Amino acid sequence: MPTLSNIAGALFSLDAVYVLTGLALWVFAALNFRDRANANRLGSALFWLVLGVVFILGSLMPHWLTGALVLLMVALDGAGRVGHRARAGETTKSGQAVPKEPTLGNRIFLPVLLIPVLAFGFALVFRLFGGDTSRGALVGLGFGGVAALAAGLRLTRGTAREAFEEGRRLNDSMGSVIILPQLLASLGVIFTASGVGLLIAEGVKWIVPGDGLFLLVVANCLGMTLFTLVMGNSFAAFPVIATGVLVPLIVKPFGVDPAMAAIITLTAGSTGTLMTPMAANFNIVPAALLNMRDQYGVIKFQIPFAVVMWVLHVVVMWLLIRLSL
Amino acid sequence: MPEIFKLAGVLIVVVGLALRLRTTLVVAAAGLATGLIAGLPLVSGLPALEGVPVLTSPGKEGIINMLGRAFADNRLMTLFIITLPAIGLAERYGLQEQSARFIRRVGAATVGRLLITYQLFRVLMGILGIRLLGHPAFVRPLVFPMALGAAEAEAGARSVEAIPEKEIDRIKAGSAASENYGNFYGQNLSPVQAGILLVYGTLNAPGIGYAVSLWSVVLYAIPIAALSVLVAAVQFLLFDRYLRRRLSETR
Repeated sequence: MPTLSNIAGALFSLDAVYVLTGLALWVFAALNFRDRANANRLGSALFWLVLGVVFILGSLMPHWLTGALVLLMVALDGAGRVGHRARAGETTKSGQAVPKEPTLGNRIFLPVLLIPVLAFGFALVFRLFGGDTSRGALVGLGFGGVAALAAGLRLTRGTAREAFEEGRRLNDSMGSVIILPQLLASLGVIFTASGVGLLIAEGVKWIVPGDGLFLLVVANCLGMTLFTLVMGNSFAAFPVIATGVLVPLIVKPFGVDPAMAAIITLTAGSTGTLMTPMAANFNIVPAALLNMRDQYGVIKFQIPFAVVMWVLHVVVMWLLIRLSL
Repeated sequence: MPEIFKLAGVLIVVVGLALRLRTTLVVAAAGLATGLIAGLPLVSGLPALEGVPVLTSPGKEGIINMLGRAFADNRLMTLFIITLPAIGLAERYGLQEQSARFIRRVGAATVGRLLITYQLFRVLMGILGIRLLGHPAFVRPLVFPMALGAAEAEAGARSVEAIPEKEIDRIKAGSAASENYGNFYGQNLSPVQAGILLVYGTLNAPGIGYAVSLWSVVLYAIPIAALSVLVAAVQFLLFDRYLRRRLSETR
């Protein structure tokens, strides 16, 4: 006999949101399939259909089958069968839809604001019930999307068909970039299983120049950043650099506060995240989401900031160590 | 095979991206190449292929299995698709134009000041322990259109057509960057966030064994977080100056 909390748990779970997302992808697939103006309609439809299958059944399917479906998506995209160019006149110069009825005033903000409000609300509720707030925010984002759609339809008196056509337009303008973050996460897992991380850590140790504190701090931060540039993820780099370089070469010999050295090492990795296309969800997807002409435009903007921040990481870590010695 | 060959995947990625080959294909090729060079089996858990060398190897997870597992585990990165119909609908009914109109009424608003404000807002969310996919939830529907509105006001223009495409692209990049800056450095200011927990877990692990507290890690995240806000403010204010110069040229 399922209890009320069991039902609520299943309804407000990440899996439920994955199913909703998969259903939206199937609608996008169907709209692509029916769009005779799109030369890639079959390839695109199949691509979004398969991604929808992965979203809905990803927790149930054997991993080899999911992997094979991912390779199918990559093959479709590799063959140039995925994509859709907006027809002339559909969007303005900045890539926005041509507005139909801009007379709603500030009320048009209400449905869109429902998304962060629900994400925030779910995070709070999850915390109250002892759950994981990050998970709560993600579940809230999912239900926020649905609530925003309902509120938007009511407010604009538009049709669901119109909403999904617009959603598909945004989705198609990003195209295969959408699966890049997940694909890169998989690459990171394969790199780790293959020992690529350990190899890079060995390389960093090999370039460590002598035992002077300043140069060790430089090598530590540089190693962390380079590692992150390659893996696209400072969280994957941190344990390797911390156990291989930071603790044995800096924290132990100099008697440094491990909490201080460790968090500064971690954020030195974040400067790498700002500069690498491997962190696609932060750097490449937003460029696609904003219809930028240069897919590396976000990275180029961030590089001067990241370089200055990297230097500051070295200086701050060195100063804090010197002051405490 | 020498260990160093395992870096073939890294090389494939670097060369592939430099040549602007299709990114999905490059990443998949890099994964398959690295795994095979490291001696991982191609696939596991398929009874029909049992005992075939290279393809399978008993007790080891296959490359394709890893690919599928990690891809499914990371669906949360792509969850924002669910918000696209709502955002698309609101955009069709004038969301971006209204954002621009709204910000033009705030007389003191410039692109740089707006992006500084948004970054501070994201830092605040980090302190509250909330992680959000800010690019789809805030940047595309609200922050970028508002930044564009501020630029239009500055250019004395009523529409986006007056702003050169290159500058529009830079404003887009700045909007995305302010999200990343605020998110990356703000998230370490709360003990419930993943980065802090990772540092805590790594330092307290048996092999290392330092008994640090979560709050001490958060405490030492403050200097860098404060510097990130300052450095970004300088960059965004310089960006304002650059835009003013460019927009007065094109007027």
